[in-house]
Amino acid sequence: MKSKSIGAIVGAIAALGIGAIPAIAEYPVSTVRLITHSSPGGGTDVFLRKIATTLGPIMDVNFVVENVTGGGGAKAMAELAAAPKDGSVFYGSTPSYIITSLLSKPEVGYDQLDPIVNMFYDPQTVFVKSDSPYQNLQDIIEDAQARPGEVVAAVSTPSSLDRQVMEEFQAITDTQLVTLTHDGGGDVLMSVLNGTAAVGIGEIAEMRGQLDADAMRVIATYTEERVPGFDDVPTAQEQGVDLVVAKFRGIVGPKDLPPEVITAWEEGVQEMMTDPEFKEWYEQEGVQYGYLGHDDANAAREEFVASQTEFFEKFDIN
Amino acid sequence: MDGLSYALTALTTPTIVLSAAGGVLWGILGGALPGLSPSIAMALVLPFTFDMSPLAAIIMLTSVYIGAEYGGSIPAILIRTPGTNAAAATVIDGYTLHQQGRGGEALGLSLVAGTIAGLVGLICLVFLTKPLAMVALYFTPPAYFALAFLGLSIIAALSEGSLIKGLIMGVIGLMLAMVGTDPLSGAPRFTFGEPDLLGGIDYIFVMLGVFAVAELMNKVSTPDDGEGSVIKNTITRMRLPGLRKMWELRRAQTIGTGLGIIEGPIPGAGGTVAAFLSYNEAKRWSKTPEKFGHGSEEGVVAPEAANNAVTSSALIPTLSFGIPGSNSMAILLGGLLIHGIQPGPMLLSNRPDLVYGLFGGLFMANIFMLILGMLVLTPCIWLVNRPKPYLTACIMMVVLSGIYSINQSLFDFWIVLAAGVVGYVMRRLEFPVLPLILGIVLGYMIESSYRRSLLLTNGDHIVFLQNPLSLGLLCCAALIIGLAAYAEIRRARKPQDMHG
Repeated sequence: MKSKSIGAIVGAIAALGIGAIPAIAEYPVSTVRLITHSSPGGGTDVFLRKIATTLGPIMDVNFVVENVTGGGGAKAMAELAAAPKDGSVFYGSTPSYIITSLLSKPEVGYDQLDPIVNMFYDPQTVFVKSDSPYQNLQDIIEDAQARPGEVVAAVSTPSSLDRQVMEEFQAITDTQLVTLTHDGGGDVLMSVLNGTAAVGIGEIAEMRGQLDADAMRVIATYTEERVPGFDDVPTAQEQGVDLVVAKFRGIVGPKDLPPEVITAWEEGVQEMMTDPEFKEWYEQEGVQYGYLGHDDANAAREEFVASQTEFFEKFDIN
Repeated sequence: MDGLSYALTALTTPTIVLSAAGGVLWGILGGALPGLSPSIAMALVLPFTFDMSPLAAIIMLTSVYIGAEYGGSIPAILIRTPGTNAAAATVIDGYTLHQQGRGGEALGLSLVAGTIAGLVGLICLVFLTKPLAMVALYFTPPAYFALAFLGLSIIAALSEGSLIKGLIMGVIGLMLAMVGTDPLSGAPRFTFGEPDLLGGIDYIFVMLGVFAVAELMNKVSTPDDGEGSVIKNTITRMRLPGLRKMWELRRAQTIGTGLGIIEGPIPGAGGTVAAFLSYNEAKRWSKTPEKFGHGSEEGVVAPEAANNAVTSSALIPTLSFGIPGSNSMAILLGGLLIHGIQPGPMLLSNRPDLVYGLFGGLFMANIFMLILGMLVLTPCIWLVNRPKPYLTACIMMVVLSGIYSINQSLFDFWIVLAAGVVGYVMRRLEFPVLPLILGIVLGYMIESSYRRSLLLTNGDHIVFLQNPLSLGLLCCAALIIGLAAYAEIRRARKPQDMHG
């Protein structure tokens, strides 16, 4: 952790001294803590560390990543809400902070925090074992109609977006599958590999090793556009299933931050997203461009909360 | 042979040797601290590996893992507190040996048995990765259920003397495992609106309570012997077993190593089940089964061999599928991904230097475990032979700070203290504690796999008989229960015969 911040300092000094990379706007503080509820090496942690080294020189800020684990994000949210409102503390967000707020009802929930920017979408994909007879979503729908209640679809935890997607898929296509929940994404892969489930829902980053070895195939993505690197995989919409999942990744701050802090983030992140080296990295990680500024990110969260609340009520998860 | 040269390169690179030694030392200390699990010990060093070479980084992480899984047995033997979940089975005979003043021997046995098992496991990892990876793949929900059921069936053997009391404790354990979130629907249950209970009751807390806290209460409630020392005739040095001794114990060693290697690759099963099963089997095949529970050397060797053999074969799903089977392995996976290394079926062909280098590093780690273990153990024995008032106070402090380090939550304190009171009362009433531990450890697995299996067949129980693996494991369970019942009946009849 230490050397990363040293790297950021060196980068910042280089930016100041040479003046080759102009800082966009004067940021009010010099050191910014990025909190994540994921442990070192976890998904959001890796992602924040990369942002710290790329965005540091752009915003002329020394970023430090801090792991505040526990309570599915509840601890990190409480720490953020209590932080000074000067732009010195932020939280790397995924949908889990909203899901935790809705399900665990911690003292500090999502509504006491302010989304600053969104950066990426994690594409939700439908995958099968490479020797599966399924070539596209239509094959699954036909099979599920022929054998109602027999085709098994593997999803991660019961309160996950994966499961929500699967339930919506059944409603849209008027089919009845067995939605088999697991304890995590790794178990889902195992169930598909050993034939317990005919099809799985998951993220690209998790199954990269299997895809490289041609042990699995992606047959659809629940995205607006095709996923870079998977240009021959049609989206669910293209296959006639009108379903798009916005599993976002972004930055959340305490409420009532000064407007110049929010603007600095919006401008800095937009510049970072155009950096070619950064773009190559995030596409390799299997995430999609999904920049939203402060107002759009807030609107997107409202929408997300509404759909989650509906899902949890419908399936009696609360 | 390229592989060998990669391994030798790793063995002769000073930075890699250092990271293996440092990792093992940190692991042993972390594992020995109650509450600091192997995965937390790994997470704590992870940030330091970011700037190492990829090979040094994964060797350091796996060395911590190996050290921590071993380190857990030290407090299990010396203070009746398993430092890791997998060391729970070691408590039974390890602590009894310590009370008999043979703690030094027990520690030596656990160290040597663990090293041998680790090395044998490593050989299997090198030569049998493919078949062992298949073990992980064969485990479908019905097979998981059968494995958990087999684990529970050991209750029958562990509660010898009073099957009813054993079953009561097992059921209480299962009930505690129900608290939290429904594994299939995600609905909260038995949480009484308490957000801290949503994640369920972590069994490490129950274990610390019923073992450590109950033991401390027991200690302070028994009158002092006046000499300030708890255990008389204590040998204050660690004593390594000789070759002849290990040969005498070969059965227990083989059973533990074998079961550990087979169970390592099964995601979610972990060393705990392997350790308990080995303990049970070692007892069954022992020439002196009556010594088990009263300070049997085999009773230390079998579970210790098992939980150390697991450290090698548990790497298999992570390396060959890119799928971590436990929290520790998830952290290792994170460490690999940070260096841009994608574990999976292609790892061996893409990065043979890394895979064979890792094998070399694992070899080193096991040797360091033996050396560092020898250095660490004698001071540990010295520590636990301090006068009772100091000792109990210090252990309480270490245990409570360990608990707090896990989640920084006061709620966890109350769970541990409550479990401690319950454990103390149960001990006074002579209820066996281990069935409770088995119940709470296996509860989630048995429930979730049972319900998942039935989902697959729309509620038809035939699914457990259709799957050959599940059928086989259930037959083993039936055998264990049958044999225990037979022994119970025979014992019950004997006194009657004498009267008649």
